[in-house]
This record gives sequence, structure tokens and C-alpha cells, in this order.
Amino acid sequence: MTPRENGAAEVTTADLHVHPLTAPLNFIKGAPKMLLGLPAIYAMGVRNGRDWGVYGGFALVALVFALVAILFHWVTYRRFRYGVGAGEIVIESGLLTRTRRLIPFDRVQDVDIERGPLQRLFGLATVRIETGGGKSDEGVIDSVSLREADRLRDAVRAGRGSGAATAPFVMSSGNAPLFAMGLGRVLLAGLFNFSLVYLAGLFGILQTFDDFLPFDPYDPARWIGIAKGQIGGRFTAPALLAVLGVAATAGIVFGVLRTVATDYGFCLVTQGARLRRTRGLLTHSDVALPKRRVQLALISTGPVRRLLGWYELHLQTLGGAGTVGGRQPVAPLARADEIAAILAETGALRLPEAGTLQRVSRRHVLRTLLGTAVPALLAIALAAFFRTEALWALLAMPAFVATAFLSRRAHAYASSGDLLFVRRGLWQQKLWVLPVAKIQTVTITRSWLQRKLGLATLTIDTAGAPTLGGPAIVDLKLARAHALAEALGRRSSYSGRKSGTDR
Amino acid sequence: MIVYAAYAERATARAISCRVDRFGYGKRSVPSDVFTPLERGQLHVMRLRAFGVACLLGIAALALAVALRERFPAFPTAAILAPVALLLIYFVILAPQRRFRAWGYRLAGEELQVVHGVWTQVETHVPLARVQHVDVSQGPLERTLAVCRLVLHTAGTANSVVVIPGLARATAEAIRDEVRVRIGQSEE
Repeated sequence: MTPRENGAAEVTTADLHVHPLTAPLNFIKGAPKMLLGLPAIYAMGVRNGRDWGVYGGFALVALVFALVAILFHWVTYRRFRYGVGAGEIVIESGLLTRTRRLIPFDRVQDVDIERGPLQRLFGLATVRIETGGGKSDEGVIDSVSLREADRLRDAVRAGRGSGAATAPFVMSSGNAPLFAMGLGRVLLAGLFNFSLVYLAGLFGILQTFDDFLPFDPYDPARWIGIAKGQIGGRFTAPALLAVLGVAATAGIVFGVLRTVATDYGFCLVTQGARLRRTRGLLTHSDVALPKRRVQLALISTGPVRRLLGWYELHLQTLGGAGTVGGRQPVAPLARADEIAAILAETGALRLPEAGTLQRVSRRHVLRTLLGTAVPALLAIALAAFFRTEALWALLAMPAFVATAFLSRRAHAYASSGDLLFVRRGLWQQKLWVLPVAKIQTVTITRSWLQRKLGLATLTIDTAGAPTLGGPAIVDLKLARAHALAEALGRRSSYSGRKSGTDR
Repeated sequence: MIVYAAYAERATARAISCRVDRFGYGKRSVPSDVFTPLERGQLHVMRLRAFGVACLLGIAALALAVALRERFPAFPTAAILAPVALLLIYFVILAPQRRFRAWGYRLAGEELQVVHGVWTQVETHVPLARVQHVDVSQGPLERTLAVCRLVLHTAGTANSVVVIPGLARATAEAIRDEVRVRIGQSEE
């Protein structure tokens, strides 16, 4: 790599414009949306008795919109500039908010050249620069000539050095699968996937056919009337139990059917630098997960599964060209040793040793209680105003206290070597296994109550995560939170060769 | 005696941990010896934005009061307008000040720490080696008040964008160049 000079780097000027045809092409692409208004305009005209003045007025308005659109595209074209510097690409854009985006070559994962039909007609192409951040962080240069697009791609690839040599595709020659699920296990997994989705199906059918029903299904008074008429003297405990039993059985059956449809023939194989997962009954899904793109592992389980020794393994991977991203199930139902074997294959991950996890502050109990018991008490007090029988619900309060204590026992973490382990959850327990090198940012959050109690929550952000649900250590003592954040930051910068989002 | 000694030891430990707990975080503001505050212009940006929102809310409240007055002629419009006015005064005059003072950033070793938030304090640590790319951007309001925003893009999801608003252009570009140097260093 060419050595970089410390101190003032020369500023890259963004001096290149995209191809001038971009503005009219984008206008033409947007034009069909304006045509959508024509039927409405026609309907309005018909309603006003085919008054040609109305038509003329609307035509004028449409013309004004078209002119504004052309102006907008033209100004956007003028404002958009890009430039290639010594080690980076600079893109300047924006009408009101001017943004100057700087993408160093080393952060570029891939350069895609896309050509839509209109662009192909005029010899143009869109250059999409993918960085590790995912969709919103790309650099997009809309519509340059094909030659310029190739030049950009070569400049970026040259700037990155020899470029990462992709591992050749290794065909597995009869390897034993890393993990496979027979039909029996798929059915067992289905039993744990209780699903009430069939209720949604019923509502959907109701909605589709509501024009044909003899009554209005959305009128609640009607339903109550039917219920009163039908149930009347038949509202007995056995009848209610029977209905619940039918609903539960239907839920179980649908859960099993759904699981069989998705996970039939589940098979996980190692192929060189990637894991390959095949599954599915009707839609056969074949997915490759590059090992180096694995960001973290999530092992989850429920109360019954934990008793029986079954766990579920998901791997969070970074997407990219040709591979799927997000949280992928890698073992829907497996024993602990099978999970350990799969983790060993990924190279960096492993299960924590027993007894190494340390718990969070005891004040977590207090905060959980305040969060759950106090609203419950308020609800009971409110109900007690109307019916004093509600006070019997106070008998359930010890359960809240016990749950708070047990939740605190279930929440633990450990930072050992190059891995961070976080375990959380009393009923639905989750264990996160996270290489410190894959940590993107660490956030310490303190709510008002946490500030009073001297606590803090440590949240860890990784690449390719779904919107909700990342590893979080809740209610640490503040000093410990800072110490842990500092330790993680130190270790991640030692290992910071590439940004942790390896190719 | 032993019991008393143990109690005293626990009390001192608690006192020490209390001191450590108040680790430089005041009730409302972030002390400037730990974190660098933002430029004063950002306070004006926040006030102007709050004023804009307050105008909209005020108009909505007025409309509601007028409508109620037409429906129920005896309804005292002051019952709606007074609390709304108080709320808007807090929103425009007091709240931006608190929010502004709660912002701070610090370049500490290999990472950039950004802290903000009045009720829920959020402190984000971004290792400079993890930054994908850096934007310096300025909206029209910020341009008139001579502040700009430093936007750090990381590969994360919840924190894929970390923003430090209210920086002078020179400061923002200095931090950006620092980040660029660190990105380069992390490759070698």
C-alpha cells in the first residue's frame, strides 16, 4: 500500500459532472407517474359535465408540473459533482442540503455498474459504490457514459491495491453435512412454533368476501348480538374450554405445517470459505454464507426447549453482491454440541465456558420491578375502584418480585479474549456470541431512573442487524459500563485491519 | 465491633461508588473539561427549529380553540390556550438550551465519543477505525448560522449514521481529516 503522509492531505476536488442526458432521462422515467393522474382528471371532467374549461385547466396544471419537474432534474444535474482523488472518491450533491461525501477506496466493498433499459439505449450506466455500511451508505453516480463507468471501476480497484482475490468456488465432494435435520426433528421443531397466523387468514377471507356476506362483518354490535343469541345458555366452562382447545390445536397444526414447508430437508454444509444451507419443501432455498462475513451468532431457546436441551442458532451476516444478509437461521433445532461444532466451523466463534459469565448490578431487580410491578399495581388499584374483587389480583405480586430476581440472574455477560458473550432473558433466553472485532459502535444509554440509580445500559451495534434486537447489557454499574466500553474499544482498534466487515 | 466495621466498610464503598457514579455527569449539562460543547450557532438553529414547530402547534391549538368556541359558546378558550402557551414557551425558550448543553463530543485516543440527550443520556463511542466514510453537510438554516454537521457513516445498523451537529466548518474538517488519517493507518 502506498504510505500515507500525515498532516494535511490535499483536498480532492469534485469537478466532474454526470452525463447531460441524465436530466431528461430521469424526467422521462418519472413521467409515467404523472400519467396516473389522467383517469382521475377524466373522471372529474365527466362529473362536471364535460366542461372543456375544466380539461383545459387541468392540462395547464399538468404542464406546469412538468416544467417544474424538468427544472428540478436540471438543477439536480448541475449540483451533482464527483471526483476521484489519490485515495478516495468524492461526491457532492444536494439541492437544499449540500452534502459532500468522501469514500476512501479502502472502504469500498464493490463497484457495481447497473444499466436500465433507457440507459442501455443511450450508452449510459449507473455506478453504485458499495461500502460496508449497507444500502443507505452507497455512493451512487447516476448515469455516466459506459466508458467513464469502466474507468471509475478500474480506478477504484487499482486504488484498493491488488484487490481481494476471491476464493475459488470449492465443490463439496461428498462431505458429511455439518448439520442436517431429519423429518422427525423438523416435526418436533414445528411443535415449538405455535402459530396463530391462521386467524389472519380467516380475517383476510372475511375481508375479500365482505361484499357477498349477508351482513356487515365490521359492525361489532352485530357480532355481539349473534354471540348473545348463539351462546345464551350455552356459555359454560366446558364449551369455552372446547373452543380454546380447538384454537390451540389449530395453532399447533399450522405451526407444524409452516415449519415443514420452510425447513424440510434442512442441510448445512461447509464449502471452503463459505457455509451452504439448503432447505424447503415447496420453495427450495439454497443460500451461501461466507464465513468471513459472519458478524455474530445468536443462540436462542424457550423454557420448554431449554428443559429438553434444544437450542436454535442464527448467524448474522453482512449482505452484499450475491449473498444474503441479515439474521439467518443456521440450526432451527439442535443440541448444544451440534451448535458448538457449527460455531467451530465459522472459525472465530465458540460457546462460553461455564461460570465465566458475570451478572449485572443488583439494582436491575429494582428497575425491573418498577417497570412491571408498579403499572400492575396501578391497574389493580384502578380496577379496584370499580370492582373490589380485583384486589384478589394482588396475590400475583410475589410472582412479579420472583420474576424480577430471576431475570437479573438470567442476565449476564463476559468479555473473554476476542469474544463478547451476552445472555439475557428468563423465558425466551438469548445468548449472543460476538467477536470484538465485529463491533461497530458502542452506546451507553442512561435513562432518568438509571441516572438516579447509578446504572447504565450498554448497547452494541453490528453490521447487518435487523432493526430491533441487538446485544445489550442492561443496568450495569456506570463505572463498569465505562470500563467495558473502553476495553472493547481498545481491543477493536488493535484488531482493526479492515473495518471488521471483511470481504 | 466486627459488625460495625463491616458496616463502615460497606458505607465507604458505597460512598466511593457514589463518587465514581457521578463520573463527571452533571444533572443537566455535560462539563466542558470532559466533552467539547457545540458551537453557539447550533443553539440558535435549535431555537429556530423549535420556534417553527411551535408556530405550527400554536396555529393548531388556536384552530381547536376557535372550533370549540363555536360549538360550545360558554367554553373558556383560556383553558386550552394557557397551558399550550406555557408549553410552547418552555419548548422554544428553555428546552433548546437544555438540549444544547447536553451535547458534547470528544476525540479520545482511537475513538470519537458523542454524548447527547436530556432525559435519556446517550453516549456513542465510535472507533475511528470503523468509520466507513465521512460527510460534512449543511442545511440552509445551518448555512446562515455558520455551523455544519459532521456525519460519520459506520457499517452498523442502529448507529449506521452518527451525527455531530453544530460544528464550525474548520473544526468539522479537522476532525474529518483526522478520521481519514486514522482510516489510512488502520490499513497498515
